[in-house]
Amino acid sequence: MIYKTGVCNFCGTGCGHLLKVNEGAVRGVFASPDHPVSEGRLCVRGWHIHELLTTRERITRALVRKNGVLEEASFDEAVSLAANRLAAFPPEAVAFRASPRASNEDNYLLGKLARAVFGANNIDLASDSGHGNTVDVLLESGGLPVLLASVADIRKAGVILVIGADVTKQNPILGSELHKAARNGARLITLSSRVTQIARLSETHLQSKPGSKKVVLAAMAKALIDEGLEDRAFIGGNTSGFEDFARALEGFDMSRVAGLTGLDPDAIRVAACSLAGAGTAMAVFASGISGLERETIAMAHNLLLAAGKVGREGCGLLPATGICNIAGSWDMGATPRFLPGYTKVGDASAAERIGKLWSAKLNGRSGKTVDELLSASPTPIKALVVADHDEGIIRHAGAIKGLDFVVYVGAFDNPFTDLAHVVLPAASYAETDGTYTNTERRIQLNRKKVEPGPGVLPAWGIWAAIAGKRGVSWPYRTSSDVMEEIAAAVPAYSAVTYGKLEKGFGLQWPCDGRHPEGCPRPGPGELSGRLAFAAVSGEFSAPAPTYDYPFLLTVGTDNYFWHTNNIMKKTHIPKREYNALLLLYPRGLVEISAEDAARIGVRDKRLVNVISASGSMQVAAKISAEVRPGTVYVPYFIGDMITGFLEAHESLMEGGEDSVVPVRIESV
Amino acid sequence: MTMHILPKAGLCRLTDELAERYALYGPVRREVSGEVVFDLVSDPSEISLDAPIPNTPPKSVVFPQAERIMSFSFDRETKSASIERDDLSVSKALVGLRACDLNGLLCLDRFFLGQEYVDEVYLDHRKRMFIVSNTCVHPFPQCFCVCTDSGPAATEGFDLDLTDIGDDYLVLTGSPKGEELVRKLGLAEAPAAQAALRAKAVDASVCLFDDQAKDNKAWISRAVNRITTGFIPYEVWEYIGHQCFECGACSFVCPTCSCFNIEDVAAGEGRTGRMRAWDSCSFEGYSRMAGDHNPRKPVEDRRNKRFFCKLSFSQSKKYLRPGCVGCGRCVRVCPGDIGLPNVVTYIRRETIKQVPSE
Repeated sequence: MIYKTGVCNFCGTGCGHLLKVNEGAVRGVFASPDHPVSEGRLCVRGWHIHELLTTRERITRALVRKNGVLEEASFDEAVSLAANRLAAFPPEAVAFRASPRASNEDNYLLGKLARAVFGANNIDLASDSGHGNTVDVLLESGGLPVLLASVADIRKAGVILVIGADVTKQNPILGSELHKAARNGARLITLSSRVTQIARLSETHLQSKPGSKKVVLAAMAKALIDEGLEDRAFIGGNTSGFEDFARALEGFDMSRVAGLTGLDPDAIRVAACSLAGAGTAMAVFASGISGLERETIAMAHNLLLAAGKVGREGCGLLPATGICNIAGSWDMGATPRFLPGYTKVGDASAAERIGKLWSAKLNGRSGKTVDELLSASPTPIKALVVADHDEGIIRHAGAIKGLDFVVYVGAFDNPFTDLAHVVLPAASYAETDGTYTNTERRIQLNRKKVEPGPGVLPAWGIWAAIAGKRGVSWPYRTSSDVMEEIAAAVPAYSAVTYGKLEKGFGLQWPCDGRHPEGCPRPGPGELSGRLAFAAVSGEFSAPAPTYDYPFLLTVGTDNYFWHTNNIMKKTHIPKREYNALLLLYPRGLVEISAEDAARIGVRDKRLVNVISASGSMQVAAKISAEVRPGTVYVPYFIGDMITGFLEAHESLMEGGEDSVVPVRIESV
Repeated sequence: MTMHILPKAGLCRLTDELAERYALYGPVRREVSGEVVFDLVSDPSEISLDAPIPNTPPKSVVFPQAERIMSFSFDRETKSASIERDDLSVSKALVGLRACDLNGLLCLDRFFLGQEYVDEVYLDHRKRMFIVSNTCVHPFPQCFCVCTDSGPAATEGFDLDLTDIGDDYLVLTGSPKGEELVRKLGLAEAPAAQAALRAKAVDASVCLFDDQAKDNKAWISRAVNRITTGFIPYEVWEYIGHQCFECGACSFVCPTCSCFNIEDVAAGEGRTGRMRAWDSCSFEGYSRMAGDHNPRKPVEDRRNKRFFCKLSFSQSKKYLRPGCVGCGRCVRVCPGDIGLPNVVTYIRRETIKQVPSE
């Protein structure tokens, strides 16, 4: 028997697969037909995960930089050096960046290492800003920080609103669920400024101006209320704060909608009535990797709440997490503001409870994200520990070079090691047991399939070794031991055991005393109070071009995230596919509509200067039918674009799809 | 061809005998989920002949998802190259191959071995193989082999063919190797009345398609006609292309798909390994050439190509049969819902519309 059940380690859909293992090595992969989410489907990445898992481009030995050069060292020497040097800095001067592809066990113990051993709260997750807004809005509105339903509810939704996300490229199998729902009669409405594949497959595409999604959603909510279509019974019985929300919308003049959003107000009204009138409806957006502004998420949440489309079958707001364990890592507290289980760092009773579990007194001051710390000038940190990152942090290369001490822990070769003083080899996800939580709160166990290299530990083992060098001895012998402690720390995981996870295809949290087998659809009983309408600003504006900067530039980190991704470069076929654009546009590209290109005299593949009020870059133009006239789109940043342009526009990465920079385009 | 009887209880004698000389492969139900895979077995009793069509296509036995075919190194000082071909030939017995998958294997044989050039790697896998096919006495929900003349029973290409008739199997020999094994096992020849049960079982199975094989139907003849002649409006291919998620799954699970990619990778100790791995015409990079010349750049052109391979007469001439074997796997794995039966439906629907009304 050589087909072994596992979970894909790329995006947050958490598809099941069968890894083909023979003679101690991974030989291939196959889709898993009975998996409840993927049902026999995989995307181009998932179908080639064996290429990644069999690459020889691995970090196999501990390395220590001596006289400017990384040299092989014993694991013991490297770990001692890391532990002692990190301890020499004050806790505010140290930061930890966790990997969103690492397991719950890995990231739980990284959090424990940072907080309990080094007293540091500067721990964040790569892709933080995208998902952070989602968590904030949903938690503040009394819900759970992720979907209050399951992916399976998509099949029961009568109307599905896709907000922005290029979902068929980012979470392809979720995109497949949306498409199949549409083919079975669901009405699919996409709200985005680009013509994405899901927009093409939708019945209605509301091609809005960049940065105006929140206005469109506000207009939809207002149209709903004006037509008297809000679900009064649901609102009265289950929610709070509707009056405030309605009042905030009163100030919105619908005659401004066309100018702000570029959409016909009637089209918006029709979409809103359709959503309200359907028996069931859901909304989907990208979270982590890319994401939306708080206001946009708040509007989406409020719209569904007003329409009574939350908390029952076929309904819900689905933040599609872009990487396999973004959701779980947040659950584990790999963030500067939350301890495990979403209690705040400053919360005294939470700190006491976790502190007791961890036998340490916890630092009560909230930390900052690595992006914030490295963007500050000068940066307040002196030391940085990075686990298995993919690419995003490289935009801070300048600041990182100036740090005193950098540790990199990872499984695969990574140019980031050029910046590290100590490098420690970690097992790949197929070489150790671990759990990963997908976008519908499904905690799935991925069992070890092959042996790691000699002396190579899973990341959690490395964190334990570092703790050990600081005199803190942790008792875990297996990943399952770590999960036992996670169950004690995170209330929503309190009834999780490896034994249970192994019996089927994982369990959806809350998996606790009341829900020993998990909970596919958390309802009012699982929440601490009523669902609230999220606070909104009461202002309705969208970015506008100016005479000097007549184009609105947006960036996409969703569909092309995997393009410049380090692990994707270890594959063959996905790399070939993703490299297609890079070969044609080696200096990067900016997408522009044919009509705009003709008007300003720009030709495909010719260089142009993209100039904003804060900076500029020189890249090639790509004529694209997918870009809204008046908009230009940069799918990914490489090389000079990162240091030159991106640093000057830090906000571009913060607001995800909603970030807009007015620019002008000039032929070179 | 001669017909013999094997009591069901005696199946293990057949598989044990094969296990002496061949590595055994067959349909296996996995423990936790009950999913069926076509896998190498260490214990012949793991093979389940009444399991549904395996999700993993048996073609991976002769055409693995990824394998090293040779390795080489070059010594710059002596300017000498050392090239070693990996020995891939292992005697394999495929037990319980369904007619659709056997027909797929025959298509691969004709593609890899029957054209101008013999693919030595494929030949290494394919030679010294013993094939025991298994008549489908009832269809499975995804089947449509009756639309593609590839089942429910095999007509050629097997060494032995089994048909379940209750307490016994009818064993039909299809080759000298098959006859030799039957002699060795001492199987009694089937009396005429029993031998006739095979044809009856096939007829009964065909009649069950309406009730039991409900997922897919592909009335392919109009599609074959239009794809061969090219009389399909481009909008139809665009409609299909919009739904393609460019994942490659259809090619990977298809019993007749044979496209592959070659990559040279580090093999350790200064050697380079040449890997051969599944590729798919659904990928943009598949047909892209230097300078970005690409005869099939838009996704609709790639989908056009796929169904040309499966259904056009020009391709069928090479396979000596239609390129689709009606196994239904592409339907199950496609994120975009454009498995072959759906595509055939779109083509039929669009070409019906072109008929002018009275």
